[in-house]
Amino acid sequence: MSDVLLQAENVGIRFGGLQALEGLNLTVRDRELCCIIGPNGAGKSTFLNLLTGTLRPTSGSVRFLGHDIAGLPLHRIARLGIARKFQIPSVFPSLSVEDNLKVARWGTSSPVRPVGELLDLVALGSRAATLAGELAHGQKQWLEIGMALAIEPRLLLLDEPTAGMTPQETLATAQMLLRLKGEFSIVAVEHDIRFVRALNCETLVLHQGRRLRSGPFHDIEADEMVRDVYLGRR
Amino acid sequence: MIARDRNWLLIFAVCAALAVVYPFIADGYQLTVIRDALIFGLFAASLDFFWGRTGILCFGHAAFFGIGGYIMALVTLNDAIPLGSLLGILGAIAGAAFVAAIIGYFLFFGGIRGSYFTIVTLAMGVICQQAAVSWSSVTGGDSGLIGIPPIAFDLGEIHVDLSQDLPSYIFVASIVAVVVLVLWSLSRGRWGTVLTAIQDNEVRAAALGHNAPLRLLVTFVLSAAIAGLAGALYVCMAGLVAPDLSGLLLSTEVIVWVAVGGRGTLLGPVLGAIAIQRAQQTISSFNPSLWPLLLGCVFVVIVFVLPDGILSIYARLKSLFKGRRQAQ
Repeated sequence: MSDVLLQAENVGIRFGGLQALEGLNLTVRDRELCCIIGPNGAGKSTFLNLLTGTLRPTSGSVRFLGHDIAGLPLHRIARLGIARKFQIPSVFPSLSVEDNLKVARWGTSSPVRPVGELLDLVALGSRAATLAGELAHGQKQWLEIGMALAIEPRLLLLDEPTAGMTPQETLATAQMLLRLKGEFSIVAVEHDIRFVRALNCETLVLHQGRRLRSGPFHDIEADEMVRDVYLGRR
Repeated sequence: MIARDRNWLLIFAVCAALAVVYPFIADGYQLTVIRDALIFGLFAASLDFFWGRTGILCFGHAAFFGIGGYIMALVTLNDAIPLGSLLGILGAIAGAAFVAAIIGYFLFFGGIRGSYFTIVTLAMGVICQQAAVSWSSVTGGDSGLIGIPPIAFDLGEIHVDLSQDLPSYIFVASIVAVVVLVLWSLSRGRWGTVLTAIQDNEVRAAALGHNAPLRLLVTFVLSAAIAGLAGALYVCMAGLVAPDLSGLLLSTEVIVWVAVGGRGTLLGPVLGAIAIQRAQQTISSFNPSLWPLLLGCVFVVIVFVLPDGILSIYARLKSLFKGRRQAQ
């Protein structure tokens, strides 16, 4: 159990009369890669908000390295080692790509990767001086991943990292994450099944706020019920 | 060094050279006029450091100017306090910073931003002005306090006496130059870059480990401290302090100076304050009632024609000539 990084136990959240999530469990071990998938409205982003402490669960608990992180200020959660990529590309548009990465590095007391390495990792070496607001959509997504890497996270949470990307960009993003696999834990919430297939990792399937299935992706992909509700057999 | 920084330093050097030459061509009266305008320029730079870097408008910045002025007046008018001028300046800076820290703490950590922040600070300015009027046993009420002595103190072997026009001009001009340079260095360095990031996307900055409310608070406190310093300098030069110095009108004027000069440029607001002060005196000497109308017109024209302020003229001309050369 000592290598458990993040543990969500029996987590649920209710918004007024709506039970958005119920009875969810997730254990993320050190340097593990896993995906959370589900159709629109399944509660993926809400679950991610619970995992990052942005939302407080109405039942159950979320613990990171044994500490309850619900309700902690964002900057303290980041300093604990949790980095997050938001669903909508969230960069600093009036700063250059390089300055975006510098600002990210300054957020941690002990940055390791130099800016040049980060630029290469996210394939933006030739755009270092470009204003982040002028980047293409996919490049903004990569820049945000680079910014999340800059704070030297122990856990990287990605909310739909390939949203709006071309198939080539989606594949490149998957390859980027596979190269990073083993350096820290990664949880990716995703909608694009090609991306999840490329990652081929432990996968949790949500449906209507509840766990539908979990396990290795090839088992998930073959599961009749998952195919019914999500993969679109009917 | 990037082109924008080179341009800024070039304009700063030209302004500094003009400031050095000015005493040789101006008489005593003109010198005091520019000296007082420079103090208002310092005040404008203080607002610009906060508004320009964070994008959050403080509509009651004159409160800090007034607090600094009143503390300076109370300390220097009390003969029992040794080193009155020096302690007065330090007290003015500390007093304005303290009030900003208290108000800013609740606002920034309470998540108050944008127009809500502007409205609360507007109320703060009104409260400060009312306090200055009502607390007459200390502040002198509507009449304020008069007879504030010029700055004079000893620093070891050095005796500083600013009762004459030239020394007071040199003292004020030096302080403005140093403060503007320091603020510019802060703005273009790590502190300023993170503030720009917070202005762009505060949630993203926080998710990267930056304590955004604390950074905004420190910037606000520093800005207020400089406004307090400007207030302290002004009352010593003018010889009086009155509730108007913390009032809504001055809070509005300083916003106009910053907007006309160029928000986020630090040097622009100083030039904006000087230009508008000079224009006000010249036009008011012909017809005092004409000035508010003209000021309004100038403000509207600047917003439409030069939305980045008068300091952007240089960059515009430069890009215009560059474009023409390329076309040829």
